[in-house]
Amino acid sequence: MTVLRRPPTDPKSAARHQTAALSAFLLIQTFGTVFFVGDVIGDLREDPTSIHFIFEATVTVALVLGIFFGAYALRRTIEFLRSQEAALDVARGALSDVIERQFQAWALTPAERDVAFLALKGLDVAEIAEMRGAAAGTVRAQLTRIYAKAGVSGRAQFAAFFVEDLLGQGVTAAT
Amino acid sequence: MATPRTVRTQTVSTPTVKDQLASPPALWDPVVRLSHWGIAVSVLLNALVTEGGSLAHVLIGWMVMAMLLLRLVWGVLGPREARFSAFPPNPVRAVAHLRGLFSGDKPRDYPSHNPAGALMVYMFWLALAAVVATGLVMTGGATPMQVAADKAAVASGDWAALVRDGDSDQDSVMGDVAEEVHEVAANLLLILAALHVAGVFVEGRLLRRNLLAPMLFGAKGDRRK
Repeated sequence: MTVLRRPPTDPKSAARHQTAALSAFLLIQTFGTVFFVGDVIGDLREDPTSIHFIFEATVTVALVLGIFFGAYALRRTIEFLRSQEAALDVARGALSDVIERQFQAWALTPAERDVAFLALKGLDVAEIAEMRGAAAGTVRAQLTRIYAKAGVSGRAQFAAFFVEDLLGQGVTAAT
Repeated sequence: MATPRTVRTQTVSTPTVKDQLASPPALWDPVVRLSHWGIAVSVLLNALVTEGGSLAHVLIGWMVMAMLLLRLVWGVLGPREARFSAFPPNPVRAVAHLRGLFSGDKPRDYPSHNPAGALMVYMFWLALAAVVATGLVMTGGATPMQVAADKAAVASGDWAALVRDGDSDQDSVMGDVAEEVHEVAANLLLILAALHVAGVFVEGRLLRRNLLAPMLFGAKGDRRK
């Protein structure tokens, strides 16, 4: 069943790492800024008119603003990632809906649906038989019935049936 | 014959925006998590390990101040569940939530902290602010850099570094009050922390929900595939 194991490209965890890194950076920036603000307040008590104070105060104000902008940008990033995740869920659900409806339209039996799903996922006859605890002959017969009901010639065409929906356009002959 | 059904034949339920608003986050955002654990560790360190007035104590105190300020900024600029508007302080609803929890029926979900948790959060912030503010009064607002410089000066025999202008009776009275409040608020923090842990444990048991996972790395089983 190595077919089911997908390569470790998990966009979700990558996004998590990205926002975590940005947050850690924001936190460190805040540490630095708070110490600078404390220093500036100390200087303010001593000599608020010195060039040293004015310069440091300006830099510190910039740092404080940087934190606000950084926090806002981070919020935008988090919201963007979430909306992408939601869109992906919708797309997944939509494809699954399409497949489900098509199986219904072809009047597949529950057993045939399971087999058809496994076939769509790319498992071969032996693997499907093992997963379902059935004989290879049974699975082969079920697949034949599925292809007949769907009106396709074989596995490749069966899978292509749904890929075509995803591509959103018919096959046009090259001119 | 039992056929192992490993294939999901149900369609994936797609979370609508409304669902997301009503349920607590499956994973808190990184700023919330960093400040939560950072403050928790810092409070424990300063209460139990570091010596009051030491450089480490003051340094950790300043870091707590930074994390608290960042969290408060995040309460305005952060994502929805981190914002103050998602968990307004409301003692009446907090009591109602606790009553509902123990009366057996499942209380409704909240988009952020539940009302009891929200009240706990605000209490934490008030106590933290009190500890930080009194700590600043006690050290005369000296940054950790200044504290380190002073300590180095004293170590080298220059006691003059300890004398600051404006040391008067009024200051020392204020210092005594600050010290008293500092200790009371710090103890209050530890009590609140114990209550908080107990609350998370009890609510987790009663609702059969892992409340710790969203504050760490998120639930392991929530990845839809």
